[in-house]
Amino acid sequence: MNKKTSPKECIGQLFHYVKPYRFKLIFALAMVVVSNLTLAINPTIEGRITTQLAKDATEIIAGVTGAHVHFGIVFHIMALLGTMYVIKTASQLLTAFFLTDAIQQTMHDMRNALQMKIQKLPVKYFDNRPVGDVLSCVTNDVDTLSNALQQTLTKVFDAILTVIFVLIMMFRINWVMTIVAMIIIPLAIAITRAFVNRSQKLFDNQQKMVGEMNGTITELYTGFREIQLFNKQEDSIDKFIEVNNNMCEAAFKAQFMSSLISPCVSLVTYITIGIVSVIGCILVIGGTVSIGGLQAFVRYIWAINNPLSQVSQLSAQVQAAFSAMGRIFTLLNEQEEEQEGSVQIDEEQIEGRVTFEHVQFGYHDDLLMKDVNFEVKPGQMVAIVGPTGAGKTTLMNLLLRFYDVKGGSIKIDGIDIREMNREDLRKLFSLVLQDTWLFKGSIYDNIHYGRLNARKDEVIDAAKMANVHHFIRTLTKGYDFPINEEANNISQGEKQLLTIARAILKNPHILILDEATSSVDTRLERMLQDAMKKVMEGRTSFVIAHRLSTIKNADLILVLKDGDIIEQGTHESLLAKKGAYEALYNSQFANSN
Amino acid sequence: MKLILKHLKNYKALLLLNVISVFGFALVELGIPTVIAVMIDKGVVTGDKGYLFRMGGIIAIISVLGAGGTILLGYCCARISTLVTRDIRLEAFKKVQSLSHAEMNQLGVSSLITRTNNDAYQIMMFLNTILKMALLTPVMIISSYILIIQTSLSLSFIVLATVPLVVGGVIIAAKISSPISEKQQMSLDSINRIFRENLTGIRVIRSCNNNEYETSRFDTENKFFMKQSKKLFCLMSTTEPIFFLLMNMAAIAIYYVSAKMIDANTIQVGRVVAFMDYLFHAMLSVMLFCMVFMMYPRANVSAKRIMEVLNMESSIQNSPQVIEENKKESSIVFDDVTFAYPDGEEAVLKHISFEAKKGETVAFIGSTGSGKSTLINLIPRFYDVNAGAILINGVNIKEYDIEILRNKIGFVSQKATLFRGTIEENIRFGKEDATMEEIIHAAKVAQAYDFIMEKPEGFKEMIVEGATNLSGGQKQRLSIARALVRKPEIYIYDDSFSALDFKTDATLRRQLKKEVKDSIMLIVAQRVSTIMDATQIIVLDEGKVVGKGTHKELLQSCPIYYQIAASQLSEEEMQHE
Repeated sequence: MNKKTSPKECIGQLFHYVKPYRFKLIFALAMVVVSNLTLAINPTIEGRITTQLAKDATEIIAGVTGAHVHFGIVFHIMALLGTMYVIKTASQLLTAFFLTDAIQQTMHDMRNALQMKIQKLPVKYFDNRPVGDVLSCVTNDVDTLSNALQQTLTKVFDAILTVIFVLIMMFRINWVMTIVAMIIIPLAIAITRAFVNRSQKLFDNQQKMVGEMNGTITELYTGFREIQLFNKQEDSIDKFIEVNNNMCEAAFKAQFMSSLISPCVSLVTYITIGIVSVIGCILVIGGTVSIGGLQAFVRYIWAINNPLSQVSQLSAQVQAAFSAMGRIFTLLNEQEEEQEGSVQIDEEQIEGRVTFEHVQFGYHDDLLMKDVNFEVKPGQMVAIVGPTGAGKTTLMNLLLRFYDVKGGSIKIDGIDIREMNREDLRKLFSLVLQDTWLFKGSIYDNIHYGRLNARKDEVIDAAKMANVHHFIRTLTKGYDFPINEEANNISQGEKQLLTIARAILKNPHILILDEATSSVDTRLERMLQDAMKKVMEGRTSFVIAHRLSTIKNADLILVLKDGDIIEQGTHESLLAKKGAYEALYNSQFANSN
Repeated sequence: MKLILKHLKNYKALLLLNVISVFGFALVELGIPTVIAVMIDKGVVTGDKGYLFRMGGIIAIISVLGAGGTILLGYCCARISTLVTRDIRLEAFKKVQSLSHAEMNQLGVSSLITRTNNDAYQIMMFLNTILKMALLTPVMIISSYILIIQTSLSLSFIVLATVPLVVGGVIIAAKISSPISEKQQMSLDSINRIFRENLTGIRVIRSCNNNEYETSRFDTENKFFMKQSKKLFCLMSTTEPIFFLLMNMAAIAIYYVSAKMIDANTIQVGRVVAFMDYLFHAMLSVMLFCMVFMMYPRANVSAKRIMEVLNMESSIQNSPQVIEENKKESSIVFDDVTFAYPDGEEAVLKHISFEAKKGETVAFIGSTGSGKSTLINLIPRFYDVNAGAILINGVNIKEYDIEILRNKIGFVSQKATLFRGTIEENIRFGKEDATMEEIIHAAKVAQAYDFIMEKPEGFKEMIVEGATNLSGGQKQRLSIARALVRKPEIYIYDDSFSALDFKTDATLRRQLKKEVKDSIMLIVAQRVSTIMDATQIIVLDEGKVVGKGTHKELLQSCPIYYQIAASQLSEEEMQHE
């Protein structure tokens, strides 16, 4: 496994993705600066109106002759204020548009990059990881990053700018008051620190509980049948209540702890405001500060309170964003499968002779296959039998180069498959697996997937050959019948037939059936085999099966055990040998003896 | 939202506390400006420093009260939202336990998992916010408006004029955003789906060389998602500045009017200052309210999804009553049973009749889709028959208490589910008070004893989630042992020998035969060899019985059975029997 991508590398890689949209982003951030400037200046301007009014008012009250409000000055300031408001709003709107545009484009690119990456990573990568892990990287992590960039980025930027600008403005009003007010900052940080450490642990605990709950629900729901059969509903409800209560407690603690930060920081702010107002009033009496200045100053403290009480929230979001980025870029930096080979092959010329020469292979450090040798002539049908874990599926993995051999070589028509382009190599094969893979879409689309340039009549012919045409016709919408997301609106056997139709449509040189008919009943299987025989006329095929009755007429049977071939030959010759195959074959009728 | 309200009712005291604490918050936010206004108007004008200090003290008291209120608010919100979510989860979970198979299949396991976990989580987050903000907002708005009106009636008209604008704006924004948000959510689901398909189908996709096709398919959805996201984010981030602009404009108007009033000496400056502060806080509350509105569509979707589960009615009705049954002679009878799936047009089973007595084995065989599995699923009442009746010991199964009925049955499913816990616990699942001897015996009969003893911990070996540390065959054998330990009247094996190799299969069946002499055994199988020695074999085709009899009889009388047998056995073997 690759080491994790460090935050520094993350930023570097992120820049790479942002680059095409950097001007938009820079413009958006510049607009944040503008709006923050106006936000910082506005209270002062508002204060100037108040000051002016207060001055005029004092004169009026004092009965100074000709005292009146200086509307000329007030209007002037008001016009200025109005302009500032408009500028602020305009810059905020511009930020919103450009930032959203730049970030969503970047996220789009990143998702595409991930999708393409997945197409290029070796199969091995996925065999070692649960689907959910990789999936969560693409969905949750990208989503987290997107939210972080969309909201947290501007908030952090905002917060820093606000604090700086506001402090400058405060100093301009009165330095004594500012210094008093500045106590808020270290205090707020200290408070946040103290709580964050605690709440982090509680959040981790909550996350653990979420996982536990998910596990429990998954198990109890998938085991629904068993629970009903064995009348265990009460027990399972008890089990659930327990995790549910734990989860509730954990969530409560985490939420409550984190909700404490904001009021504590605010308390400091409130008290500071109290102190500052007292000092401020005294200064106003002394004449060093204007009333408008005092008003503006109090407003500024409120303005600082906001980013400060959010520090904890923001830092959590930033951390989450970095760990999400770490996972995304670690995936994007994984080693890809090499595509190019040195030998160009002409698909038309391939006959389908497959040779395994001294093949050695193991998924881990120890070897599963020590020395596998066999040769398949063009057009032969090869059956591979053996107990679970004997390496039947491994042969298929090696043939299609989902994995590479560790020693020896596999050749098709005498060419080492490692020298071919992967794409060319895979063009030669059709693969039908026990674990059927269908996607959400019509039945037609699913068969058509085998060869995207196939005509409609070719699709129908393939379906007929796979004995699934009739079944499709009985469905409500025929070939347009939509297969749902879980592909559980048709039976397992029907799914297998559809994947066989897809494989037939591809019209390959070599066909691999890996337990492809395990869920189809034997009578249908027999019918299918007859059909396949026609299709596979003159082409090589590999059949992996545990039903021995279905492979009796194979040209070559390979008996595998613990990764190696222990016997090979035809059905008759192997029976005559009275070895492992014979034992395996006879065991199915053990009870009749 | 009914869902949330229903559960909120249980926590009235906390809710009341929540409301009270909201006032605490409002007290500071509005109290401090009021005090400052008084300070400016009285203290500054008179130059009374003592008065200023007293006022400073009042601010401190208010601050502490306010902070206390906010902490209390945080406590109430966290408590209520987590408790309510817990209750909703539990209700949903209990409901699921009472559902029958038809409803379970309709919703799907993975969807139910998200509904009980993630959707409930969404509701919790929403509830937490709404309890803080939504209560805060009206309190803040109302009290600031009261203060605003008190401070100056004529100035307040300007502020009041903005109210319909803001409220209307919020409603419009929510109206526009909720369909976009829904589209975005759906598009995100599609993106996830395509990605999952890409991951699960990796071998097929590569062997088909369809990488480019997948990329373009993905990009189409990705682009659509981007468009929706852009719209949504733009909308969300423009509402705020526009509301603020509105408020700012109101502020300018207020300055203008108050300038006139000062000129006429009808208002004091301190009041104007306080007024502006109230306005500022009222604005903030409106903002918070907008946020709640933005969260609403998502939470609403989640609530709807949970409601869907809660509103489901189980199609199987229980009739808990004591009934007389013929205990002496165990029997099961299918009397002209016809069954169609709830949404199926055609009946899956048509006019099925057969009978089995104690000690007999009945086997079912037939093509994929012939209705074998459906037939046996009717016995534990996973589904109810549409016509005809199933009788156990002479009593219609619908008249049994479901629990009693299911206690009579040892059912081994095709796909065995085991649970986290030790091997012993999993076998004991069949019978809670089983002794260790019984468990070991069941394991031995099920041919599981040997592999269990090979495990480092033996019977105490832990089975992990999804039982991934066992092979398919081992799982099947454990689930057979689990059924055996119950010693039920009726055993049902739904293709439960398929993952066993032939040799184990044969030994297991030989052992079973000895074990279950006093029970009825029903077997669904694909392999003819598995069922050749059954008392009665029933051949199903398209939901109808097309053959009934022993292996030998059927080879003669039933062409479909002959075909199935011929496809699996050699000439010689067929003669052999």
